[in-house]
Amino acid sequence: MTGDFLALLQQSPFPSVVGDGHNPMPLEATTVFAFHCADGVIIGGDHRATAGHTIFSDRTEKILELDSHSLMAIAGVPAMAFEMARTLQTAFEFYRRSQLQAMSLAGKVRALSRLLRENLPATLQGVGAVSPVFAGVESDDPGARPVIYFYDPLGAHFEAAAYAGSGSGTTTIKSVLHYLETWGHPRPGEMPLDQAVVLANRLLMTAAEFDAATGGVHAEQQEFATIKLLSTRGIRTISAQEQARFWKDAQP
Amino acid sequence: MTEEPYRWLEAISNRREYIRDRSKGGTPVFAVSRPEGILLLGVGQGQSKVFEIYDRHAVAALGHPVDIEKLRQTAIEAAHLEGFNRSARDVTLRRLISFSLSGMLKNAFEQVFAPPIIVEAIFAELGDSPAQDALVRLHYDGDHQYSTSRVVVAHRETGTETQAAEWISKTLASTDPLPRVANVCLAAWQALNDGKSFQDLAAPSETRLQIPGKVIEAALLDRQLPGPVHYRPLDLK
Repeated sequence: MTGDFLALLQQSPFPSVVGDGHNPMPLEATTVFAFHCADGVIIGGDHRATAGHTIFSDRTEKILELDSHSLMAIAGVPAMAFEMARTLQTAFEFYRRSQLQAMSLAGKVRALSRLLRENLPATLQGVGAVSPVFAGVESDDPGARPVIYFYDPLGAHFEAAAYAGSGSGTTTIKSVLHYLETWGHPRPGEMPLDQAVVLANRLLMTAAEFDAATGGVHAEQQEFATIKLLSTRGIRTISAQEQARFWKDAQP
Repeated sequence: MTEEPYRWLEAISNRREYIRDRSKGGTPVFAVSRPEGILLLGVGQGQSKVFEIYDRHAVAALGHPVDIEKLRQTAIEAAHLEGFNRSARDVTLRRLISFSLSGMLKNAFEQVFAPPIIVEAIFAELGDSPAQDALVRLHYDGDHQYSTSRVVVAHRETGTETQAAEWISKTLASTDPLPRVANVCLAAWQALNDGKSFQDLAAPSETRLQIPGKVIEAALLDRQLPGPVHYRPLDLK
């Protein structure tokens, strides 16, 4: 009884979505990001999924709660990414319940690495690349600090000192975040929640300005980013109403 | 030996006796469906008796710790595979008991050359309202009963279980808070342990959520808890 849900799953496998050489146009593109703020880690993303030049959906949720203390922002092919998130959600809960203790943060980080590595055939075929951002905090340590990890599509993981992003619009966002972290007053890491939420929305608006595959923010229509705050207390979803209030208060 | 019917029946009978003998040290566990959720309670000496199984499912059991663990792991594996391959709503107590646990226990019980699984358990499934809650009493031989009342007790002597459950039901008012519910269960626990009759047993007049030298373990499948996971351990101190 190792608490390893993936080993259990291999005894009762779920069918692979990778076909036999037939390459449909994958759904992809996105902008997701995470950065440290004074209250923890802000993790956000847009709602758009595209297939080539077609907007497939503008209501996609890309910030997925894996358990009460970890999140995954997905970029890449949704079929694979959602399946990875679902597998991890089950694996983390399975471990916690069967072993009567929560999986360590390092264990969760490695679990996502393992799924990415096992997804290598789909990645190489060009139909299943996933490049996620992960944020988590040790659930059993009240003094623990939330951390951000980003991955390459083959499963290597890297801890981000201040911020991380993934998806087609992320280059723009990372440039802005680098600028703010270096010369900002306050830096994103010093911002209280309201300022950090406004910054997250402005980052997405900036990304959407240069990337057609990133859905923007339309404050006048109450359409905001998906934004969650991860702190030692767990995960808090910042509702659209709350974001609208922060947005309004920030207007000059 | 098992080719001869009489010998087989004798072996089964001996097995029941053996299990009852090995269960003598076990103390009762309780499940009570309330407006707040389902309270599960057990009293032990450090060994856990109340466990989370899945988002809306939990178990309270007495028996051999290794066998409780075996039952718990089997239930957790079956529930998570079902939840992953279908959905969390497809994980139901009826399917867990009928297709995974009951058969496993019956097989273990009837294989007379292998050690039996010494366990008596209550499985609970949280519904949207108390009327939709499900409580199942599962025995060591796979036999099981779906409860039609809101209180289920599992004890080494099944005869007194019903009396205890009826007394708890009669003693509790629908508005009683959870500490009072736990207190009444503990009074029933003491009576069962001391072999007292429930006929003249008085309701506890004051809240006493401690038993010297014992660890009280309680959990709630909480109807109000946001998110998919409804199980939370209760601190009764």
